Order: sequence, then C-alpha cells, then structure tokens
Amino acid sequence: MKRDALFKTALAGAFLALCLWGGLPLIRHRRTDVPVVKGPGVTAVLRLSEFSPGLKGTAADTNIYVLEGKEPGGKALLMGDTHSNEPEGMLSALIYIENAVVEKGTLYVIPVFNNSGSRNTRPGDGYPLYFDVATDWGRRRFRFGNRDASPLDQWPDPDVYIHYPERQLLSFIDVRNTNRTWPGRARGPLMERVTFGAMELMRRERIDVAIDIHGAETMFPVTNCIVAPDRSVKIATLASLTVKATEGFENHVEPSPSGFHGLSHREIGDYGPSLPFLLEAPIPFLDQPTGPKTVKLLLDGKDPFLLSLSKKKKLFVPYDAGGWPLEKRVGQHMSVTLEIFRQYTKKNAGRPIIVGGVPRYADVVKNGVGHYLADPSKAVPGGVVMN
Amino acid sequence: MIMIAYYIITAFVVVLLGWNFIRETKRRGDLVLYLLVMIPLVLRLLRWK
Repeated sequence: MKRDALFKTALAGAFLALCLWGGLPLIRHRRTDVPVVKGPGVTAVLRLSEFSPGLKGTAADTNIYVLEGKEPGGKALLMGDTHSNEPEGMLSALIYIENAVVEKGTLYVIPVFNNSGSRNTRPGDGYPLYFDVATDWGRRRFRFGNRDASPLDQWPDPDVYIHYPERQLLSFIDVRNTNRTWPGRARGPLMERVTFGAMELMRRERIDVAIDIHGAETMFPVTNCIVAPDRSVKIATLASLTVKATEGFENHVEPSPSGFHGLSHREIGDYGPSLPFLLEAPIPFLDQPTGPKTVKLLLDGKDPFLLSLSKKKKLFVPYDAGGWPLEKRVGQHMSVTLEIFRQYTKKNAGRPIIVGGVPRYADVVKNGVGHYLADPSKAVPGGVVMN
Repeated sequence: MIMIAYYIITAFVVVLLGWNFIRETKRRGDLVLYLLVMIPLVLRLLRWK
C-alpha cells in the first residue's frame, strides 16, 4: 500500500515537472511584449478599449497608432495580425508606424489586431514561438502567434458559432477568429468585442478606407489578391491593374461573397461607413503539405514539397525555387496599400490620403524588411511603446 | 451561465479522475492516462494563464 502511494506520488511529480518544462516557454511567450518605435508620423497612441470598453483589462485589448497628417483629408485604418500566424500584415503595419509621414489625412494603424491570438500558438503543428527579422543594426524579435485567440482568454467554445447579427452557422472555432466575428457587439464574446471596437473606431472617426492585411496558403484559391465588396471593387481593380503595370507583380481582385458573414471585407462595409479591402499574399508556411514549420520556412517561403506540387500545377500562384520570401509578401502589401490610398484620393479629391516615407515593393525586395525597422534601443525617451 | 456550467462539469470530471487515480492499484498505464487527461482540466480550474 505504502509502495503504491510512493509510486503514484512520484508519477504525479514527474507529470508536474513535465508540465513545467513544457509550460514555462508558453507562459514566457504569452507575457513577452514587443517594442514598437514611434516613427516621425505618430501623433497619438490609443487603446481599442477606448472604443469597446468590454476589452479593458483583457488580453484582447491592443494599441492603435494614430498618424495625423499635416493637412486634413481622408482617414484610413490599417490592421495587421488579424491572424497572428500571417506576420506580413503586422510587419507592413509596423513599417507604416515606424516610417510613414502623412501629408494629408490621418492613418490609424493596429499592428496586432488579435492580441490574444498573437500570444497563442499551435503546438500540434510545431509552430515556432518567435521569429527574428535581420535588420541593418541586428535582429529584431517578434512573437509568432496563431490564427485564433487563445482559449485562455475566451472559453468555452460553442458547438456551433452563431454569427451576430446574421445568425449564420459557422464553425465552433470561428468564435475565436477575428475575421469571422465582424461586426461584433459590445457585450458579446471577447473577439466580437475586438471587432466591435474597430467598427466603433470607424464609425466615430468616419474612416474612409479600412484595409485588413493577411497571408494565405499557395494552395488556397483566395491568395495573392485584394478581396473587395461591390462598393470597394473599382478602387481595388484600379490598384490591382496599376501595381501589375508599374511594379510587375500580380494581385488580382476577388469579390467578397455577399452570403458569407463575419469577414472584414463583408461586414465593415455593410455595418459602417468605410470602404473595406482585405489583402492576401501567399505564405507557404501555412500550406499543409510542407516540411517542418520552421522560422526559415516562414521567412524564405521555400519548400521542396510545394515546388513539386507547383510542377504538377496544384498551386494557385507561381512558385519556383525562389519560394515566396517575406520581402515579396510585405513589399506587395506596401505597394497595394499605397495604391489603394492613391486611387481613393483620385476619386475623392476632397478627402485625400497622401502618405510618404514608406517603401514600395521594389524597395522592400531589394533592401529587406529589416531595413525599414527601427532600433528600439536608439529611440528617443518615450519613443517606444510595448505591444 | 454556460461558463459556470462548464466549470462545474470540469470540476466533476477532475474529481472522478482523481478518485480513479487513487483507487487504481494494478494498471499502471491507466495511472498515466488519468494524469494526462487531468492536465488541461486542472489548469482550467486553477485558471492558470
């Protein structure tokens, strides 16, 4: 009897030790904040909970960087990390925050839209917890998150997610997906409060253009594109044609399906004043038939299995031994966002959005993403915000 | 309300598993399984984040 109790105690102790060994890196990841340097154009930093009080004190609250122009004009909202395993959105937003100078109009930038998701991971897929981007002054480290918010912050999941307010039945996991919970509600599940905050920001500040920046699998048909509903499609088409003609990369337009609810490109326009756009760049890391999910794959997008599938014409984008590196993905997003602003300004001369100081596709491909990231240790006092 | 119900269910299952863990004397493989299944439930009850 005594020996049995001793064995059980030892077994429970071993389990506890294993839990600590496996759990401590996850706790550290969850608590790691990333420094963001306030660039020359940043005029204020707000919190999303100012627009959705139900977020206050939760892990889903996040920063909004305001870049107010020298002259009044139109207003635009940029969102990255709606899905935190698609870091090209967050890095594009960061390049705006740390480099942009707005000449006319105002930019609102949310680099980490799903803050809870950015502190989550997908252990079943062997996701890395962090990734480093090489810069001119060293390496800059970022959290690598998951598509969905952490169940630690929003629990339990329902059997079926009933979308609000359209009552469409969606997968249970989509209740934690901030690209299925639009337009949200003030007292709904936490992720609905996140999207509600962004909708309130757009309604109160009269945002003209809202751009949600993503990455998508090379084997998924909706990739390398701008997704736009009817009201945004003219600007999206002109932006797509212009970048193809002048900068030489493909970024076709996909119509936003009117019967599929909860997505930013659908609900932002239906429930608010803004013209929505969702940008997708191909990210091989997300494809299922790849090798290990390493930081290298995330950064260079090179995978022999995808190369083989490409030769069999199974991918929806061109793919060669060069892969789809981060530079190309972020570069595309930079050029397409700038082109959307330009096309919007051409059609709405009274509400111009003119942004300078940020690189375009060719610049990012040539110099790398890190070239446009500031060194937090050299920032002026008060010039760094923890995200 | 749903969340409270889920916590009650979680606590109930933890008690069941704990009881089985204490009572089990022969099958050592089952002891390991009881502990394995209890991990997420205990973490949820303790609200460890």
